[in-house]
Amino acid sequence: MTLRSRTVAIGLHAVVSLWTLFVLLPVFVMVISAFKSQAELFTRPLALPKHFSFAAFERAWGIGISGFLVNSILVTALSVFIIIFASSLAAYILARSERPVMRWVYVAIVAGFAVPLQSVMVPLYQLVSSAGLLNSRLAIALPYAAYGIPFTTMLFYTFFLEFPRELEEAARLDGCGRLEVFFRIVLPLSGPAIASGAIFQAVFNWNEFILALLMLTKSDVRTLPVGIYGLTGQYSADWPALMAGLAIATVPLIVIFLLAQRHFVRSLAGLGK
Amino acid sequence: MRFRLNGEVRFIASALLGATILTTPALAEDIVIKMWTLDNNGYKEFISEAAESFKATHPNVSIEHQIFPGDPYKTALKVALVGSDGPDVFFNWAGDRATQLVKDKLALDITDYGDVPGGFAKVLPQGLLDSFRYDGRLYGVATDAVTKYVFYDKAYFAEHKLEIPKTLGELGGLCKAIRQIDPDTIPMPLGNKTRWKAIHWMTMLNERAMGVAATAADYDLSRPADQLYTDPGYAKAFQALVDLQDAGCFEDAPNATEYAIADSMFITRASPMEYCGSWCTSALDQAGFTDYGFFRLPVMEGGKGNPDANFLVPEGYQVSAKTAHPQEAVEWLSFLVSDEQALKFAEKVQFLPSNTRLIDKAEGVPQSFKDIASEVATVKEGVNVLDALLEATVADAYMNATVEVLNRTLTPEAAVGKVREAALAVQAKK
Amino acid sequence: MPFPPTSKPAGRRPAMKAGAVSATAMMAPALILVGVFILIPAIVAVIGSFFDFSMTSANWTYVGGANYRRAATDPLFWLAISNNIFIVVGSVISQVGGGAILAAILDRGIRRGGVFYRTIIFMPVVISSIAVAFVWMLILDPNVGPLNAVVKALGLPTPKLGWLGDPSISLWMLLLIAAWQNVGFQMMLILAGLQAIPKEHYEAASLDGARGLKAFWYITLPGIRNVLVLATLITVIGGFKVFDLVFVTTGGGPANATQVLGTYTYTQAFSFGNMGYANAMAVVLLVTAALLGWLQVRLSRRG
Repeated sequence: MTLRSRTVAIGLHAVVSLWTLFVLLPVFVMVISAFKSQAELFTRPLALPKHFSFAAFERAWGIGISGFLVNSILVTALSVFIIIFASSLAAYILARSERPVMRWVYVAIVAGFAVPLQSVMVPLYQLVSSAGLLNSRLAIALPYAAYGIPFTTMLFYTFFLEFPRELEEAARLDGCGRLEVFFRIVLPLSGPAIASGAIFQAVFNWNEFILALLMLTKSDVRTLPVGIYGLTGQYSADWPALMAGLAIATVPLIVIFLLAQRHFVRSLAGLGK
Repeated sequence: MRFRLNGEVRFIASALLGATILTTPALAEDIVIKMWTLDNNGYKEFISEAAESFKATHPNVSIEHQIFPGDPYKTALKVALVGSDGPDVFFNWAGDRATQLVKDKLALDITDYGDVPGGFAKVLPQGLLDSFRYDGRLYGVATDAVTKYVFYDKAYFAEHKLEIPKTLGELGGLCKAIRQIDPDTIPMPLGNKTRWKAIHWMTMLNERAMGVAATAADYDLSRPADQLYTDPGYAKAFQALVDLQDAGCFEDAPNATEYAIADSMFITRASPMEYCGSWCTSALDQAGFTDYGFFRLPVMEGGKGNPDANFLVPEGYQVSAKTAHPQEAVEWLSFLVSDEQALKFAEKVQFLPSNTRLIDKAEGVPQSFKDIASEVATVKEGVNVLDALLEATVADAYMNATVEVLNRTLTPEAAVGKVREAALAVQAKK
Repeated sequence: MPFPPTSKPAGRRPAMKAGAVSATAMMAPALILVGVFILIPAIVAVIGSFFDFSMTSANWTYVGGANYRRAATDPLFWLAISNNIFIVVGSVISQVGGGAILAAILDRGIRRGGVFYRTIIFMPVVISSIAVAFVWMLILDPNVGPLNAVVKALGLPTPKLGWLGDPSISLWMLLLIAAWQNVGFQMMLILAGLQAIPKEHYEAASLDGARGLKAFWYITLPGIRNVLVLATLITVIGGFKVFDLVFVTTGGGPANATQVLGTYTYTQAFSFGNMGYANAMAVVLLVTAALLGWLQVRLSRRG
């Protein structure tokens, strides 16, 4: 390695290292703040806590973080399941059909991607409210599912266009119906598309805030983002507990990401084609 | 239009989803009253114990209590009252927010339910009943009132031989004296990031400059358009805030500081003063800081305010117009303001109850709470807070104008101009 | 994202006549969900934009285009739009640009530590914006925040009105926080695109004497064109839809300085009860987002 390329390599390492450090610092602040007392948090913002105290975690847990966690898991799992199921079916038909009307159906579904949630908040609220679904986990999972479908349908559509048709035709000759072909042949071979769709939507739905804020007013059905938001009261705010709550809310997703990141990166590669 | 759309929406929604809802059929005689409040210290405990006692007379009524942080509550409440799963009874501030719900027919007229033996209308003093009166009818039950004082660290004041100020000018001088002791000490942190801290200041500064009567016709927009918000006192009040800021009273970036951080500065004794609500005592109590005193915001030199007037905001409960159990709901509220429960409320939540008959018997409350209770009794004129009193867009303009005055992006006169502009726009619509 | 082919493929496959009914049935879940929860509310929002009503009042008054005229003359609406555009442009530069640089370095610039860097840099993507906003609020606090402490320790001046309280700084802070959270996502996307480019292309080009910048221009860039379009689209739409971050960190303040379409619509609808007006602004956002989506489809189709 020449001196010049060595200098370049060191420079490049420096760039990524700096950004990595920048990314880590706020996470570091969050974690150490959770171990401090309120007074220590304010007087020695950057220092390590004098005594590592789990009191803030206990307080955060005490307001029902565990319940919020369970709700978030339920809502996310249900909505992601519906998204994958509905989108893959629709995308498969769209990718295989030759009827011209399907082009318009595709456009109609994809147009949904352009509808921002805030712009339909009010009618959406009235809809869910008049169906009597406020304060039910289903209330939040169904709209989440709906808003995940356009993007995921696009994702699957691209994937199915390149899916080898020979396999399907072989199965069809063996007398399998369309639905059977889909569930027996196509879906089991769609791992990468399923993985990337699921991860994208899980991240979005796990973190969604505004719909949950409006529709889940009972504390026992609230999801994590709304629950965390509630940690700041009107007349008092417990910052160490807030930071502890944030840490508790954040860790599961980071762990899942660390475990699944290999698949995730691979599946992302399919997106840009 | 609305009904057709709603009907359609309801049809589609219920056709699609209706079947999937699981509802547990309630026993015919079981009544659940859904109640929403803010999440003040001790509230949850107070309500759950009161609900138990209420069972003695109403064995079939149970209370489902939900608590909310303040800022999202303002939105969530309105949305929920329109929706299908709103509360039966809910906390609200007296003022424009309560009135608006009455106008939109979302708050129930509870006059007849309350005007019975043992009902709240027979228990509460006239003045507090009036805070939720609209067109001669009652639309709410005042449970408590919050007030504000300048809290100060007694030991710090004694150590540095500081005196309680008698005028706003002296308060400014006090700030300067504290800065001279240590320039890094913030004499009285403001914490105006969420904008309500400084609007509390303006509420009282307006009174100190002009008095309550002079401002009433501006606040309720009844003054003719050419005179609306033209009293020079409004600019004087803003100027008083600027003067205090110039005297070094506040932190450098008041509009970027969370109120909670300002509170913590006083609680951790980093700052010797804070203009704080009567609700602050409970947090001070919890932090083990008891050696503090308090005084009313001092009068303004040359101002037309009344020294016997102080910040006093009635808060209470309203009943949803949609409730299926108005009778039980109001009986529950009447129960909450009965002598005995009002005492428990004072002990647990440390708020000043609307029913003060037994307040002297309160146990387990810090001395300061009792002092405040007796101080409040000497207030001759209550001043309601601007952000609850004013129409929503005018209140918003007032809060933003105050932010800009503190940021020095608006002069006091220009700030009043902004408020006047917003007020005229609302008046024109009426 | 490719569009459905308009011309029929050359080789006809066995017809699927028998599946006509089941095709509709198989599409039903997606169609019903999208229809009920997206298209119908969107249509209702469009209709509502021609009425004056509040969430709590029962009467809708038809006002024609008054809500749109009001938007045209409302300085706050234009301020919100210009803030959105600032965030969009700033985010494209910082997030797509920064993501591309990091991706290029990780792809071919360094040999070791790639997975480590990649993992850490992507991490903020999975943290909720609410959590991100709260942590940054603490970091940027003017009294007790670590950032002020660091800047002061370096002997530099700190902003007198606070990082989030000074209108001329707070928008930049929002950009910084958004970049902190999203650069990793764009980096990952672009990295995936880079790694999909067959190595032989570079080898072949190298034989032809194309290296360094030339190889980047003729091989890398065309190779990741669609990825870049997608990354830009996601960033641009995200910039127009931004809500959580602004809502929690600045609440649109100080004094409306950081108001964006999302928060201003929310304020008009839920704080002031001007539902019709809020709907009109929502429709503007909707049309903008739809146009951008259409543009992306057009741009990708050529590829």
